[in-house]
Amino acid sequence: MSETAHYVASRLATTVLIVLGAMLLLFALSALVPGDPATALLGPAATPEYAKRFIAEMGLDQPWYQRLFTFLGNILLGNLGTDVLSGRPVTRVIADVLPYTFILTFTAIGLAVAIGVPLGCYAATHRGSVLDHVFAFVSVAFIAIPAFVIAIFLLLIFAIWLNWLPVLGAGEESSWLDQAKRLILPTIALSVGWIGFIARLVRSSMLETMGENFIRLSRAYGLPSRLVTYKYALKNACIPTLAVLGMGVGRLLGGAVLIEIVFARPGLGRLMFDAISTRNFPVLQGAVLVVVLIFVLTNLLVDISYAAIDPRIRRQGSR
Amino acid sequence: MARSLSRRAFVGASAAALSLASGARAPAFAQQKTSISVRIERDITALDPAFRGGPHDANVIRCVFQRLAALKLDGSGLELDAASELKQVSPTLIEFTLKPGQMFTDGFGEMTAEDVKFSYERFAVAPVDGKVSPYKADWSGLTEVEVTGTYTGRIKLSQPNAGLMAIAIGDCSGCIVSKKALTARGAEHNTKPVGSGAYQVVSVEKQRGAVLRRNPDYKGPQPAFDEVKVNFIQDPKTAELALRSGELDFAVLPPAIAEPMRGASGLSVESQPGLAFIWLGINMQKAPFTDVRVRQAVRLALDVDQMLLAGFNGKAPRLNTLIMAPILGQWKEAPVYKRNVAEAKRLLAEAGQTAIKTRITVLNQPAFQTMALVAQALLREVGISADVDVREGGTYWDAGKGDGGKSLDMFMLRFNGKLDPSFLMQWFTADQIGIWNWQRFDSPEYDRLAKAAIVETDPAKRAEIVVKAQQEMDKSAAFIWLTNDVAYVVRRSTVKPAFLPGALDWQLDQFVRA
Repeated sequence: MSETAHYVASRLATTVLIVLGAMLLLFALSALVPGDPATALLGPAATPEYAKRFIAEMGLDQPWYQRLFTFLGNILLGNLGTDVLSGRPVTRVIADVLPYTFILTFTAIGLAVAIGVPLGCYAATHRGSVLDHVFAFVSVAFIAIPAFVIAIFLLLIFAIWLNWLPVLGAGEESSWLDQAKRLILPTIALSVGWIGFIARLVRSSMLETMGENFIRLSRAYGLPSRLVTYKYALKNACIPTLAVLGMGVGRLLGGAVLIEIVFARPGLGRLMFDAISTRNFPVLQGAVLVVVLIFVLTNLLVDISYAAIDPRIRRQGSR
Repeated sequence: MARSLSRRAFVGASAAALSLASGARAPAFAQQKTSISVRIERDITALDPAFRGGPHDANVIRCVFQRLAALKLDGSGLELDAASELKQVSPTLIEFTLKPGQMFTDGFGEMTAEDVKFSYERFAVAPVDGKVSPYKADWSGLTEVEVTGTYTGRIKLSQPNAGLMAIAIGDCSGCIVSKKALTARGAEHNTKPVGSGAYQVVSVEKQRGAVLRRNPDYKGPQPAFDEVKVNFIQDPKTAELALRSGELDFAVLPPAIAEPMRGASGLSVESQPGLAFIWLGINMQKAPFTDVRVRQAVRLALDVDQMLLAGFNGKAPRLNTLIMAPILGQWKEAPVYKRNVAEAKRLLAEAGQTAIKTRITVLNQPAFQTMALVAQALLREVGISADVDVREGGTYWDAGKGDGGKSLDMFMLRFNGKLDPSFLMQWFTADQIGIWNWQRFDSPEYDRLAKAAIVETDPAKRAEIVVKAQQEMDKSAAFIWLTNDVAYVVRRSTVKPAFLPGALDWQLDQFVRA
């Protein structure tokens, strides 16, 4: 127990440092980026006075390190600033889109795991078979094709040609069925690459594990093949897969922007993209902070589960 | 005993599942549409007439708020809206009388002249919390709105403003807000606006758009549709797919996306000449372009028709001067410059410039990039070597400002227009150098004409002034006019949209069934 607590504490301390480092980098870079939000948004309608007002409201007339200290101080009060364009608190702006991002990310990862792990297992246990070669080809193809290309094809086939599923967005709030229907194509588009990746990863991890002495010993003892494969080999093979999933969640949180644009779906990725385009620094700062926090905390959970599965990790972490 | 699944059962179950899925998407052809869905290409920013984020906000604002009088759809004048009377008593005085009983939504009471005063003066004369509107120029000359009765008032100007009716009173800047509501809601009013128009805003969601529903208290002509869904769809390709699938009823799309949609079932595609102006500008204050002969040579070296063919597939009409039809003051006899390589070379030789290295700065949009590449090839033939400097929005719009603007060479710009010549002319006065006059065009005569055009209320005289101003611009050779753009309107065949010339400014409450 003390090993785990020590492990978690050391990881939390690292988490704080990572967040600080990310925000430091963001603020330093924002000082270099030309353009102001008034001009980026309004074009010729942005009078110099209006632009100056925006700059003052965002604190861009202050040195970047001063803005960083103010921002970090405000975080402790739960205040991520104000969106100068709409006048709304940044926390509300992010809260509006965060559920969509969570749903899409975890649904995509869930689908990728639900299909990728069994595919990888099958390929590992039927190594060299025709299906193993087919899965290998399909997996690599899935990894190679960009998600937005898959998205366009899915739309053309299922939304236009077959007219089975809708093109747009996130669905009516009052109808979970409508929301679920509109989640299908974005989820598939986002998960396809990960299915291929997880399948390949599970396959290679399992092949490596199944070559270990303890597996040979288990078979020699006469344990059922199914038990050896799925309880002993797969459990060990899942450890690297878990680590990849943690990274995957982080990537998808902020990296699904192309899918969000293609499907006109709200999300953190799109929010950050729009904030960069319009030089809306308060929203960008808040969104990046949330993405970094979720990414780091997700990986912390993965690391903890890692430690829970493999006691060797716990002992290493506590030394 | 294991139960086997027969092929017949499998096919039957699949068919049932498919029919369930497709049945949920079957369009209701038999029923009359009560709701329409339109696309905007930017996210809703602020539904406040004084602080709107652009045309995407303005298109919602125009059907949620009323104006004293609204621009007619053909741009030919105004028709009364909230006012029962609107009289130009003198060049600097306008009197209005509101119709009684026009109610703001959400219980914010009846519209009175105080609301009109508040709505107009907040732009610059009496800004709330010191926040001056970026659109204050629309109300240029306003000194006061005097309230003379519950429903009556007088709009007083320090000098005549010939564009006031078209740009301010009749358009988005003339929308009347509830003083009580704005004071009570503050910044929240940007996403929960209180108006008295045909529609009210039911919801605004970040990155999704807005839902408008018929305002039951609205006393004017009732809109044809109970509900309008305003969808923020950034990618025009997604908008195309949504139109084809029936999820969208109206969108304005780029030519490359819209043209192939001609003949699509249930859709109609129409092109409208735009009300924007796109041009290649030359920085007159940077060598070697300080010499007018060099600028003239550039103008003669370029082939505008070829550039438009490349950039717009030949779909955009050519522009030969600043003012385009149907705006007052179009210079119909403006020269149509044709490519003349020999003359361009001669001018350059005369100016002592035979090997110029320069740069064309453009926004990272396909049309501009393509036109710039064509320009690059054309200029090379006369000995001008031009790099194409493509920039993303935030960086691009800053390119001509401040000290950075001094180092600009050539650039392509696009500004939206309005139905008044002064709106288009305002960007090229000397006081705009370092702001939006990227050419650094400094002509006292042009400035004099621009000021005169604002205050001249006689249309014929005003048109003369505006033509002379365009001639000054032409003499400078710093403006190579390209096009006034083209707007492709793609709509469901059962919906007839309503918009002002240029298809940039919509009147959603006047969309009807076709």
